[in-house]
Amino acid sequence: MNDQHPGKNPGGPAPDSDLLKRMYQRMALTRAIEQCMAQHVRNNRFSGWWHPGEGQEAAGIGASAAMRRDDYLFYQGRGCSWAIGKGMAPGPILGDLLGKPSGSTGGKGGGVPHWVDYAIGVMGEGATLGSVYPLAAGAALAAKQRGTDQVALANFGDGTAARGTFHETLVHAAAWKLPLIYFCENNEWLVGTPLKQVSPTENIADYAAGYHIPGVVVDGQDAQAVYTATAEAIERARAGEGPTLIEAKVFRKHGHYAGDPQHYRAPDYLDAYRDPLALLAARLDEDEASALWAQAEAEVASAYQAAMAEDDPAPDTIFKDLYYG
Amino acid sequence: MADTQTMADTQSITYNAAMGQALVEAMREDDSIFVLGQGVATGGWFGAEKGLADEFGTDRVIDSNISEAFEAGLAAGAAIAGMKPVINMGFGDFALIAGDEIFHKLAKWRYMHGLNVPMTAVIIFPIGTMNGAGPEHSSCTEVLGMHFPGLKVVVPSTAADAKGLMCAALREPNPVLFHSVNTLSFQRGDVPTGSDHFVPIGKACVRRPGSSATLLTYGSMVEPSLQAAGQLAGEGIDLEVIDLRSLVPIDWPLILDSVRRTNRAMVVHEAMKTAGPGAEIAAHIQEQAFFDLESPVLRVAGKDVPLPQHGALEALCIPSVAEIVAAGRQLCLG
Repeated sequence: MNDQHPGKNPGGPAPDSDLLKRMYQRMALTRAIEQCMAQHVRNNRFSGWWHPGEGQEAAGIGASAAMRRDDYLFYQGRGCSWAIGKGMAPGPILGDLLGKPSGSTGGKGGGVPHWVDYAIGVMGEGATLGSVYPLAAGAALAAKQRGTDQVALANFGDGTAARGTFHETLVHAAAWKLPLIYFCENNEWLVGTPLKQVSPTENIADYAAGYHIPGVVVDGQDAQAVYTATAEAIERARAGEGPTLIEAKVFRKHGHYAGDPQHYRAPDYLDAYRDPLALLAARLDEDEASALWAQAEAEVASAYQAAMAEDDPAPDTIFKDLYYG
Repeated sequence: MADTQTMADTQSITYNAAMGQALVEAMREDDSIFVLGQGVATGGWFGAEKGLADEFGTDRVIDSNISEAFEAGLAAGAAIAGMKPVINMGFGDFALIAGDEIFHKLAKWRYMHGLNVPMTAVIIFPIGTMNGAGPEHSSCTEVLGMHFPGLKVVVPSTAADAKGLMCAALREPNPVLFHSVNTLSFQRGDVPTGSDHFVPIGKACVRRPGSSATLLTYGSMVEPSLQAAGQLAGEGIDLEVIDLRSLVPIDWPLILDSVRRTNRAMVVHEAMKTAGPGAEIAAHIQEQAFFDLESPVLRVAGKDVPLPQHGALEALCIPSVAEIVAAGRQLCLG
């Protein structure tokens, strides 16, 4: 498979316009939640650990749009694009972020998000960053053993590609041709350390060569390009051809966490920023895009108000779900 | 011990073969069970998986690389996707290589996501000394599972229990850390045939009834404790020996009933003494039954040192029958 460099027009089948609209609608929901959370953090000295994903929406939305409802998703903790992209509503997501019983985790989710919905394959997050690789491989092996054509996707940041289990898992997934997609969002920062200081390769996708699997670099600000690259990888996985390592070059618009003063970044770093929503909106009817945005803002505002009106979780929540049965 | 002695036929097989028999019988009944580990398809390091790959093929009996973190993480992922993975980790010591995967993911995944769903996974940890396997292949790591809620922890001491607890673990909707005892691997015992031989997780049993004091033990120390009790019987000290079998959940009702009757207690285990299982058990007994006690709760446990490679030095690090006898005298005679 040929590498696809940032900015290059993606090859393969172009998504139809319904798909573009759906991706835009979900990016708008994600952005609206980002803005809502930013405001909430400012107003409430929010104690959770919110890691803003504004500006990074295209990667999660584009990739999850290529996934089927019954495909397994393991996501990383920045933003909420993956959960929205896989089909979760803003209500349970905000409920988790605000620690309310209406959250998908019943009030245990918190700001390093643990939202979940097994019915649509949202399997959860490992907050020891970079820990979901073997879990996703386990789900992929489950699909293979049951003889379904489901795939599992492990989403991660560039900062965790050095993890031992990144490599341990790829060795096995490649050898066993597991239906597993590695999806890296490379925003070039490990908290405050530039990736280039600690990585021997320019691209995370370069590691793929060592495992004899395809490595693909894609413009992570372009949801359509991400969709195309992910759809190809998923097609390979469903056909029994094994894993693909996709690297989306994304842009971290904000700090590592809400409130990070980012002394380590150049003052003009935002000059290089391209807004993924604007990029996709340019391919849609202008009025339609505006209407989708207004709808998303209203939906998120209403979900936020509902969550804020809720009581905190009951004290006995701490003993729930420790053991089954 | 009504639950271990059934009217069923028995056969004399080894402890590890008994674990393997439980696996075979469960795998015949349940397609979602698979076994993965280093060398499992070639019969396992200690023989527990002998013949599995012949019957079930290498799609269900899978050899992995030397990659414990991957193996345990895969178990967690497969379990939440509805499979029932059985992972042989080779040695209990290797639990630490897979710390995140066992103590965060297997233990906490369901809790931190607020999920009330079954999650079956059996992680086999062969534990304990085996005549000079050295400091990184001899550890008794079972206390780790006691400190991370969300896991169940078992340590069978007989071939029959090895099968019965494995049968239970394979049907348990929670992850189980299954500690097999290295020194017992090839010890034979009468094991009930059939796939319905269950030893319930969380139930201890009385191996020797007695009235002078309660000796609480499990795993490798059950047999030495029974030998010590036999010696002490000649001195008029009648120990009640309880085999805990499970450490999570632990059978507090049986323990406290016995202690309240004998008024004395000691804990014997191969694991290191400091912050070992005996520390929790002794503390719990004095919290719950202090005014029933005639004497402090004693611990006879492994020395607080890494285990030597030299077999003779190693033997000095784990409790001997003589030490258990001496502690029994101290407990009962003061």
